[in-house]
Amino acid sequence: MSWAQAILLARGLSRGCGVICGATVTGPPFSQVSLQAPRGLHCSAATHSSDSWLVPPPPKPPRGPTRALAPHEELFRQAPDGAQDKANFVRAVQTFGQHNVHKRGHVDFIYLALRKMREYGVERDLAVYNLLLDVFPKEVFRPRSIFQRIFIHYPRQQECGIAVLEQMENHGVMPNKETEFLLIQIFGRKSYPMLKFVRMKLWFSRFKNINPFPLPRDLPQDPVDLAKLGLRHMEPDLSARVTIYQMPSAKDSTGAADATESHIVGIQTPDQQAALAHHNPARPIFVEGPFSLWLRDKCVYYHILRADLLPPEEREAEEIPEEWNLYYPMQLDLDYGRSGWDDYKFDIHKVEEGPVFAICVAGAHDQATLARWIQGLQETNPGLAQIPVVFRLAGSTGELLATSSGLEEPPPPPPEGQEEEENNQQRQQQGQS
Amino acid sequence: MQVPEEYGGLGLSNTLYARMGEIVGLDGSIAVTLAAHQAIGLKGIILAGSKEQKAKYLPRLASGEHIAAFCLTEPSSGSDAASIKTRATLSEDKKYYILNGSKVWITNGGLANIFTVFAKTQVVDSESSVKDKITAFIVERDFGGVTNGKPEDKLGIRGSNTCEVHFENTRVPVENVLGEVGGGFKVAMNILNSGRFSMGSVVAGMLKKLIEMTAEYACTRKQFNKNLSEFGLIQEKFALMAQKAYVMESMAYLTAGMLDRPGFPDCSIEAAMVKVFSSECAWQCVSEALQILGGSGYMRDYPYERMLRDTRILLIFEGTNEILRMYIALTGLQHAGRILTARINELKRGNVSTVIETISQKLRDSVGRTVNMGLTGKLGAVHPSVADSASKLEENVYYFGRTVETLLLRFGKTIVEEQMILKRVANILINLYGMTAVLSRASRSIRVGLPNHDHEVLLANIFCAEAYYQNLFTLSQLDKYSPENLDEQIKKVSEQVLEKRAYICAHPLERTS
Repeated sequence: MSWAQAILLARGLSRGCGVICGATVTGPPFSQVSLQAPRGLHCSAATHSSDSWLVPPPPKPPRGPTRALAPHEELFRQAPDGAQDKANFVRAVQTFGQHNVHKRGHVDFIYLALRKMREYGVERDLAVYNLLLDVFPKEVFRPRSIFQRIFIHYPRQQECGIAVLEQMENHGVMPNKETEFLLIQIFGRKSYPMLKFVRMKLWFSRFKNINPFPLPRDLPQDPVDLAKLGLRHMEPDLSARVTIYQMPSAKDSTGAADATESHIVGIQTPDQQAALAHHNPARPIFVEGPFSLWLRDKCVYYHILRADLLPPEEREAEEIPEEWNLYYPMQLDLDYGRSGWDDYKFDIHKVEEGPVFAICVAGAHDQATLARWIQGLQETNPGLAQIPVVFRLAGSTGELLATSSGLEEPPPPPPEGQEEEENNQQRQQQGQS
Repeated sequence: MQVPEEYGGLGLSNTLYARMGEIVGLDGSIAVTLAAHQAIGLKGIILAGSKEQKAKYLPRLASGEHIAAFCLTEPSSGSDAASIKTRATLSEDKKYYILNGSKVWITNGGLANIFTVFAKTQVVDSESSVKDKITAFIVERDFGGVTNGKPEDKLGIRGSNTCEVHFENTRVPVENVLGEVGGGFKVAMNILNSGRFSMGSVVAGMLKKLIEMTAEYACTRKQFNKNLSEFGLIQEKFALMAQKAYVMESMAYLTAGMLDRPGFPDCSIEAAMVKVFSSECAWQCVSEALQILGGSGYMRDYPYERMLRDTRILLIFEGTNEILRMYIALTGLQHAGRILTARINELKRGNVSTVIETISQKLRDSVGRTVNMGLTGKLGAVHPSVADSASKLEENVYYFGRTVETLLLRFGKTIVEEQMILKRVANILINLYGMTAVLSRASRSIRVGLPNHDHEVLLANIFCAEAYYQNLFTLSQLDKYSPENLDEQIKKVSEQVLEKRAYICAHPLERTS
């Protein structure tokens, strides 16, 4: 388009961003200029009623006031039934474009949309980001002369572009060719957003597999599945068995406050089973917890069943049966052991902990649920019935799980630190009698 | 065959038995059936049986009226004697043992009448503590309760009968206990250790036949206007086969001769070495022979694929090669360790003269010394035409000795866990034994004047040179900080693979963008 039209358009747009072009002829109040200019250039003045003018415009520039509502917030409030999902978000963004041909206030709008993405749940969606970048008017912010290239051309817009890309980076969204094309169209090849884009393309592809303990991109919503994922994450041994001791039962719609059961999912490897079978019944074992495990942005609380280390005096030396291997001697009859240079057993960084026998993730952190877990464990570990179990439950950690099922019972107010309770044998006897 | 003459057997000595094995070895299934019958099945009675037991069972076993089988392996216990689940409990009248259990992969299981069964019995110790120990029993099929499953479908030696044997409340009279109650472990070890050396001559016989058949083919088939036998790679294969057969024979007969000396010499390590070497070489050579024949070797019309399948079992039965390598290395190290204990104790105490001696020896070794142990030279034991090989052997032996000392100093008792090191030690030992056997046989054949002795000298020299360089490489791998020692990396790789139980590398076609 012609140079004059470009200047006018640029002026009109930059006014929307608060950069006042000093070459205005009359210096009238805002509303009149903005009303006139588009009518001069374009004939589609019919739908000009920008949504920002629904609210009676204060005499000050729209950016100034301290009211909480941002200029285009109404767009986002218009969703019927408040269903916050992608379609509504896309609709809101597109509405902005339709009502506002010159896209006045697009920078603010984009910042607002970036803030709203999380509510609508679209922060990981590349198409939505591309749509948002589409809001920028094209071909306007590209530098055309060397002076424009030296100084940052349209810094606010470039910052806004970088903000969009940064939010993409924070949520782990990889930009694609469409993004590249949009950025070139909007800002030109040598701009800062384009630089950031190129860096993202290089480094993200290299860092994609950098996590040695990778998690799937979409975590399961179901708490039982999430619990299984967390447990498998903690216990890498492939022979471990995950057992669901209790499924979450549905809440009673009548509101009768029955004990709604929360889920209990446990994991145990065959080695742990064998260790538990060998455990001396004279020593107690402890149920400790809850400890938190973060899976991306979800927190899962788990409890462990462990025992203390035996003091060195009571540790049995492994008995090597005399006649063990038919083919070669398992034990050499020599007086001397390993020399110091080859002894790798003692590692100063490894602290020896007592054996851990099982791990579980439960919906509620109280003793009743965990006792249910112990009972479930007894089916595969019959020796557990003889061993006293002490519950050492720490207080609430302050993080409430947003579970979809089961009552989130706040853990009973603890004396600071640990409650020690219950002999499991007694409990069993009580249960049976 | 080895049953003494008074009981109706041939009473063959070990050497003659090895010679017979050469002929029998032409067919795998026959060899295995015979071996299962006599080398392990009735060996128990010969070695550990009382006079009455021998008189009762051996005559019919020797004539072939009854067939014997050896029942040790169970589904849950291959080499592990402590996990044997078959139990024998004494009945109330103390005249019978009730046997309950099942054994798996028993050769001749379907045909045999007499089984040597190993079961756990309760034994009261001298300190009156009750323990479970293994006892050997002679069980006849007529005692009742002996059933066998169907013959297993095997890869090779399909002519022999291998099946499961189940014992249900079989009543075994107390007189049928072999050896003493609770002494079954020693009986089992003796039986297993004594039958191995004949594998060398069996395989050698088979290889000789194989060379004949293959050479026939190679010299008649023409490609590119040349006989196959004129191509270098084919010639290499024949040389390999001839060489291995020669070494195998020498080792087997040397061991047999040692066993035939008066007294009861313990040649179990040598027998194990013969077994390991001959089984591996058998597999290699039969594979090469099949390769010479190319496509027709692969067809079932020719006997090669059957021989290949039959030889595969040699690496597995009678003690897998891996286990035998452990045995060779550990028994040798135990022997060496006892001798070294005194010296090591002195070193640890800091006896100045011993320390200085050791350091000066190490310095002289690192500079390079010539070792002379009396094999070569004017009064040397070997003939001058193999003198070079003999000096190589001496050098290897000397450096091997020093390395063994270092290893024992480094690891001591815990060397049992370092299987990769033990494997290398065993490999060196096998090579050394082969070199010894070969050199002595070659020298003898020159001195005595046997036909084709220069061919033998050639074979001996080739084998010794190859073994020498292999030994040098293995010895360098046994050093702690040598670049050839890849133990750490190997352990790391296997740890990562076994953690995920899969191949964990990314596919070559994977992209990140």
